[in-house]
Amino acid sequence: MKKRFLATISAFCFALTLTGCGNDKNVVVDQTVQTEITLSWWGNDTRSEYTLAAIEEFEKLHPDIKVKCSYSEWSGYEARNQVRMISGTETDVMQINVGWLDQYSPDGEGYYDISALADTVDLSNFSEDVLEYGMRGGKLNAVPIAMNAETMYINKSIYDKYGIDIPKTWDDLFEAAKVMSPDGIYPMAGADKSMWLTLVAYGEQLSGKHFYNENNEITFNAKDFQNMIEFYGKMVNEKVIPLIEDYQKFNMENGKYAGSIGWVSDALNFYKNVIADGQEVVAADYPVIEGLPSGTGWYAKPATLYAISKNTEHPQEAAILLDYMLNSREMAKYQGIEKGIPISTSARNYLDEIGKLSGLQYEASLVMENNEYISSMNSLIENSALFNDFIDASNLYLFNKATSKEAAEQLYEKYCESYDMAK
Amino acid sequence: MSNKSHSRGHLKAVRRIQITMMLGFAFLVMAAVLAVMVLAVNKTDAVLKNKVVSMTSSLSVQMKLNLSGYMNRMETIATLAFGEKESYTYDATDPNNDEYEAINTEKVISDKLFSLCIMENFVDYGIVYRNNRTVGKLSNGTMSLFGEKMFEELSKMVKDPRSQDGWFTGYEGDFRRIYYVKQVHENAVLVISFYANELSEVFDNPETLSGMQIQLVDGNYKTLYSKNGKEAGTPLSEDIRSRIEGHDSATAMDNEYLVSVNKCNDWYVVCYIPTQKILAEKNEMKRYIYMAGVIAMVLAAMLGMYLSWLLTKPVKYMVSELDNKASTDRLTGILNKLTFEELAGTTLQNSLNSEHRAMVILDIDDFKRVNDTLGHAAGDKLLAGTGGVLRQVFSDDDYLGRIGGDEFCVLVNSGAQSEEEFVEHIKNRCQALNKAFHDNSTAAEYGYQVTASIGAALYPKDGKSFEELYTACDKAMYRAKKSGKDGFTFYDEKSGDA
Repeated sequence: MKKRFLATISAFCFALTLTGCGNDKNVVVDQTVQTEITLSWWGNDTRSEYTLAAIEEFEKLHPDIKVKCSYSEWSGYEARNQVRMISGTETDVMQINVGWLDQYSPDGEGYYDISALADTVDLSNFSEDVLEYGMRGGKLNAVPIAMNAETMYINKSIYDKYGIDIPKTWDDLFEAAKVMSPDGIYPMAGADKSMWLTLVAYGEQLSGKHFYNENNEITFNAKDFQNMIEFYGKMVNEKVIPLIEDYQKFNMENGKYAGSIGWVSDALNFYKNVIADGQEVVAADYPVIEGLPSGTGWYAKPATLYAISKNTEHPQEAAILLDYMLNSREMAKYQGIEKGIPISTSARNYLDEIGKLSGLQYEASLVMENNEYISSMNSLIENSALFNDFIDASNLYLFNKATSKEAAEQLYEKYCESYDMAK
Repeated sequence: MSNKSHSRGHLKAVRRIQITMMLGFAFLVMAAVLAVMVLAVNKTDAVLKNKVVSMTSSLSVQMKLNLSGYMNRMETIATLAFGEKESYTYDATDPNNDEYEAINTEKVISDKLFSLCIMENFVDYGIVYRNNRTVGKLSNGTMSLFGEKMFEELSKMVKDPRSQDGWFTGYEGDFRRIYYVKQVHENAVLVISFYANELSEVFDNPETLSGMQIQLVDGNYKTLYSKNGKEAGTPLSEDIRSRIEGHDSATAMDNEYLVSVNKCNDWYVVCYIPTQKILAEKNEMKRYIYMAGVIAMVLAAMLGMYLSWLLTKPVKYMVSELDNKASTDRLTGILNKLTFEELAGTTLQNSLNSEHRAMVILDIDDFKRVNDTLGHAAGDKLLAGTGGVLRQVFSDDDYLGRIGGDEFCVLVNSGAQSEEEFVEHIKNRCQALNKAFHDNSTAAEYGYQVTASIGAALYPKDGKSFEELYTACDKAMYRAKKSGKDGFTFYDEKSGDA
């Protein structure tokens, strides 16, 4: 009887176990926790679109990492970056301008030391000379992506239409303006920073000195600025260029601008549709004063660099993303030569392998790489306040609010208040 | 046949009841478990579906709130541009503008816009004038998209007459950017845009609902944005549209889809997922419940059967005992008169003419003398011994009964194949009975040799019913008595039995 009783009880217990009675455990469902890191860059539509697509692919390759993106056009980005750097809210991985290394990390403490992440970021793709651009205080603060320079793009089809050769000197451009301006066409055009560097090039050619000396002091005096302002006024008045404020990119597409000053990395951004339309665009020599070799007064610099925040909470994940951005075939495929020809050997080899090292941008890179007279840029020259003040002074002259001398002296005084000036 | 074989019939009946009880109990238990299980599953089903619908509805509302919040933030940023007087008083198309002043004013407006949008991922943030002059940032993509019709086309997108603004995307089939435009004055519109890709953050649904498809559609149910990005520009699938058309805020669930819609400005946020996918766990759970239920049913049925067996076991024993007691003549151990007549009668009634049966009656000669001379105890002993003699002579298949004080009757059920052999078999049994009776009632024991007269009648020849056969047999027995007792005779019409 006892056996029967035990068997009965056992059967009931078994049935209860099966039906789950008495199970009052708390329910805990674990969600996959992704490590969220942030990435920022500046650039045009094309860059933003391909970078977003590349990041989507990165997230598929690394499902445990979520990348939050922050991007805008250049001018917006510069201000945003400043706010973030000062407030300590900069993104984990960021595209930076070479000038910011001196601004935010003169001693190498402003950014993460990437050499500490060399196990993840393959730095063997970069020569020591190249990495030197990103070194501050013995620490690798940033890795350059590509080299860049302001380039003279000429719509050869328009020039041919007027029977004009591709310009080599400033005089050639003034001659071209005489022929083209009756039709409302400008031989060249440029946005604010590009025109600033163009005018600096002219100033250096005229004065025979670099804008900055080795001590990061401005060497130009009031007379040099007066020459630049007058030259800018002459170019505007003789219809070589439109006013900087009137510059509209779409005029390159409708043929109103027969030439343009822009970065190597801007080639496709400017001319993709024009080339697709069957017109021929070439990367011309850097314009100079008659008698000087092409390249004099012009500058090349690392196009942009990638840095990692010194405050990052996820250096390993940031390093994985950085390596992807610099060296991966996936990113190389998306980026192509949009930022210039990549410095990373693996990215460059892959682009060569898939036949992407060609076209206008590649030609512009070759013009830059093959030029013996082009100088290495001091990043301070790209400071937007520097050229905004110059444009304001130029407008005083252009709109007859002051003489060129007065405007130049005002500008020089302003620079003296804000920057180190050579004695 | 003895009382043992007779009791089999009753026991069979009890066993039938026992089996019926066990099966009935098992069936009832199984039916009860099944009913509880089906009810529980259906109830759980309904509760779960309601919960899923409710949660999806919440998710959909959350998506709508996210989008609404995102759009409101952009509208607010656009409105803040009006904090700078120049932004709404300056008109770049005014021919009386001083060019120098105009440049400086545009710079002020530009700076204001930059400061407002400094932390936003905006593609465009600027003011476009009727002459297509722009202040602020207008991307190459937007410039190329609208070309020289920029002001004209952007102005058309201002739909709300009160706030003078509007949202749009998909111009010329380009869904990459989402635009917000706001009329500044008759010659200027402010435009802000962001990549549609930004909505992936807005529509970021929880991992547990990762299969949920989220689409933003316009008033004509054309897709403006979808989480996988491939449907932009295509109409919302008819399957989904038919379930939500005409609703501003609703959630619907049927066997195919769970769909939820919420209106945001003039657009709709549509979330949907195949029902099978969202309820996959429920179906898994259902299978588990049914599996556990079946096991529980089997166990319960087995337990029920066991308990029924335990319950009916003593009853069966009692019935067996009672049956024995009711059908048996206590003195002789063979069937009593009533039981014998019932069994024999039923057997004969159900017999075929081709079957061979015989009835044998034994009547003790001068039994009264035994009682009178030796007492009733001796008489009882003789009767008890006669029961033993019958059991000894006949087989278990034959029915043995005491049908009177000193009268015994046997229905012989089995016999030889042919009639001759059967008759021979009965003769042998009668001779054996006579001899055995002699051996059991010797003079040494009872003071004289007690004898018995035996009569036999054959079925169906001498009678078919119990009464007919008994009458024939009785007559044969009396003829034996008349012929000098201590012998046996077969019923014979010719001998005057008839």
